[in-house]
Amino acid sequence: MSRIDLQKASSKGLKELLGHLLGSGKVSAVFSLRKDPETGSYDLGLITEEAGLETVKPLAPVMIANAGQVLSSFAPSAEPIAVVLKPCELRAFIERAKREQGSLENILTISMTCGGVLTLDRVVSGLDSDKIGDYENHCFAGDIHSETRETCKACEYFVPMNADITVSMVGQKDAGTKCHIYLNTDLAKEMAKGFGPDPVEEDFDNSLVEGLASKRAAEKEKLYGAVMSGKGGLDAVIDTFGKCLGCHGCSRVCPICYCMICDFESRNFDNDMPYFEKELEQKGALRLPPDTMFFHIGRMIHMSFSCVGCGQCSDVCPADIPVASVFKKVGEETAAIFEYVPGRDIEEAIPVMVFKEEEFTEFID
Amino acid sequence: MEKTFVPRITSFLCTWCSYTGADLAGTGRMQYPTAIIPIKVMCSSRVDPVFILKAYLKGSDGVFLGGCHPGDCHYEVGNYHTRRRFAIVKKIFESLGLEAERLRLSWISASEGPKFARVANEFTEKIIEMGENEAKKKIFL
Amino acid sequence: MNDFAALGAKIKAADGPGEAIKAFLRQAVEKKVADAVLVPVKVPAGNSYAWILVTDMSILDDASPVAPVMPVQGAKALKSLTRKGHGELTVMAVMRPCEIRATFELLKLNQVNLEKVVLVSYDCPGAIPFRDYVKDPGFGEKNFQAVMAAGGPAEKNVKPACVICDEFSRVDSDIHFGWFGESGSSVLVIPSSDRGVEVLGSMGMECSDDIAGWKKTISGLKEKKTGKRTATLTETAKTIQGLDGLLGTFSECIGCHNCMAVCPICYCRQCYFDSEVAKKTPDFILETAKKRGGLAFPSDRVMFHTGRMTHMSLSCVSCGMCTDACPVDIHVAEVFSYMADITQPAFEYTAGRNDGVPLPLRKYEEKEVPQVHEIVKEAEGEEAAHE
Repeated sequence: MSRIDLQKASSKGLKELLGHLLGSGKVSAVFSLRKDPETGSYDLGLITEEAGLETVKPLAPVMIANAGQVLSSFAPSAEPIAVVLKPCELRAFIERAKREQGSLENILTISMTCGGVLTLDRVVSGLDSDKIGDYENHCFAGDIHSETRETCKACEYFVPMNADITVSMVGQKDAGTKCHIYLNTDLAKEMAKGFGPDPVEEDFDNSLVEGLASKRAAEKEKLYGAVMSGKGGLDAVIDTFGKCLGCHGCSRVCPICYCMICDFESRNFDNDMPYFEKELEQKGALRLPPDTMFFHIGRMIHMSFSCVGCGQCSDVCPADIPVASVFKKVGEETAAIFEYVPGRDIEEAIPVMVFKEEEFTEFID
Repeated sequence: MEKTFVPRITSFLCTWCSYTGADLAGTGRMQYPTAIIPIKVMCSSRVDPVFILKAYLKGSDGVFLGGCHPGDCHYEVGNYHTRRRFAIVKKIFESLGLEAERLRLSWISASEGPKFARVANEFTEKIIEMGENEAKKKIFL
Repeated sequence: MNDFAALGAKIKAADGPGEAIKAFLRQAVEKKVADAVLVPVKVPAGNSYAWILVTDMSILDDASPVAPVMPVQGAKALKSLTRKGHGELTVMAVMRPCEIRATFELLKLNQVNLEKVVLVSYDCPGAIPFRDYVKDPGFGEKNFQAVMAAGGPAEKNVKPACVICDEFSRVDSDIHFGWFGESGSSVLVIPSSDRGVEVLGSMGMECSDDIAGWKKTISGLKEKKTGKRTATLTETAKTIQGLDGLLGTFSECIGCHNCMAVCPICYCRQCYFDSEVAKKTPDFILETAKKRGGLAFPSDRVMFHTGRMTHMSLSCVSCGMCTDACPVDIHVAEVFSYMADITQPAFEYTAGRNDGVPLPLRKYEEKEVPQVHEIVKEAEGEEAAHE
């Protein structure tokens, strides 16, 4: 592994690298978070001209949509593209690629050690340079920022697992004035040739992230303890998801939920009047639209083991249900029985697609 | 007079093994409880894990899955997939604090009539012990 | 609105209109004019309400017919029940006027079956914004109490769509509960359809009270609200002029399509804009980006919102669900209401009525929509000039 050190702020340094890649024609486009100069809103830009790079904010603590999900719409790409993704977005994309919703072919992945993203509410209410500065101070010091998403605060996978290029942010005290770019793969080294000073041969310095890792681990324990108010059982599930209004926004923004028509919106679970009448006979009352808990637990069955904990579901929930916290916890437990880590390795098969001849005897009576 | 609790156990039985096993139990005049409500499926892997959840949330006191022994699947690997899917559902139930013991998967071959009767009796007894599924009464599901 | 009856039944309502409606529902079930009632009930955690179809009347004790929030549009709840047709049970559904109007739009779209449904509406003061309510349900309840106590359509603390709503009173429901302008201790039960007359008759309710006073109050309030609506939507119009206006309005949009999902009119199982047809190939996307120097994602945001306008603005009832569900605070409801106020009059159509007038796009006449004729004439003139 090698590293390029630049004498400028991280975001500026990364921008220059993107400029080099696009300017030299090594890539045809750059995909990155961007701030629209006219509206002041954040979006994700697929940029093909160097001048357009002025607007990119590759390291901003913002996630308006999981970029891994968006990347699917143009990857596989016929031409090389450099993409800047947060670690969870990259993992989400790899999970999508396993489901044939994209491919890493012709994609140069750039990521960063991530301090988390601010909640969507916070982003919408406006981010000035002070706020960003405050966030960066926390991030560079290896601290948790209080306005980041709940699942970010509890995220232990903030070091990209398989990016070609990693920008060091977390615990990197000088990241505000210096830019440290790790070239993790041969592709990265090839692409960065002719850019900046000569790379030094050095492995990623794990001591930088150890501080945040332990803080996050503690935070995770706290979060998991608070999931469903620390209770279990059907009543706790109803208390948690009871205010769901059935918009299914959580599934639409979920990078793992790739189905065009969700099973739970399909004809499979349509009911007719006689069915409802039978249920009324039993219970004396029923909720409409039906199947609220069925949707959420059902979605866990479908995708929890691939949940990357990006937190997008919680942020779009109009009812403020902590969807992501529940899914992250449940997902971690379902993934664990398969020793699976979503997005770790593109070669690692999705648990439900493979099996071993001898396994799970404990579940069989 | 106190009403005796007769549970309803939604039972998905693979046509090649468990269902035939149940048949054999019947023709062999082995007793098994009426709580078992058999649903014949072509393979245990036909059972979408979501069916298990639906049965539970709609008030089945138990959900039973019967498939061929590993290696004996008529479609070669169907039951291996069933096993993984079932493990996921079980784990999610455990994680949410739902009653995972109400779900059961057993391998019962076509020749194992006695085993079917035994498993059916055992599971029914266990469900009776556990009592009614509370989901039956919940209106906010 | 049909000017159906001049008479209603004045009943006591010492504990407010909500309790009066509950008493009425109990009586309706007792007298067997209804077998089940559809009402909002507070969820066990106490932080929201859900539509509950009730046959066990003891559950009705916990119901709040006039709920502070509308988490699910009532028409949507009714759709999930009757989309596949009616059953044996007669259902009495208590809904806000906008929910009833949406129900009639869904009826025209064959998404509900009202064969065995009795629709009950009430003078609606508005609903608390859902996202405010879930942040602090206690505060939301208090706000709503104040709104109810004011005894008229609220000017503040309610959803922006409610602030500008001029259809807050009797719509084409079967039975209407009028209480605006009435003394706090009584409400008027007003039959508003043949079925309503029949139901009240079977319940032995005598409609002998003159409702002219109430009608006058309502039309006064309505006029005020219409003025407010026009003024507000005129302001909204300024913000969405031209492509830049639209881009600006929807610039925060994250493409979650919550607005579509909660819209009672958007009944498609799969939205066109989420479908395979609307998807572009990777090559096309890259080529487009190259042509423009870049492309912003989520893509096609203006396409989605304006497209949705073309699909449903003719039926928009301005219920404001879209704004309630938007995670980035775009005032979708105002924009769509503004559009509805243009598209519906163009066909002399008003969404939400049950007057036998079909949906504008389900019929045509040889000569109609004068605006379009003007455009066609102009074009023909130009063509002639060229020749």
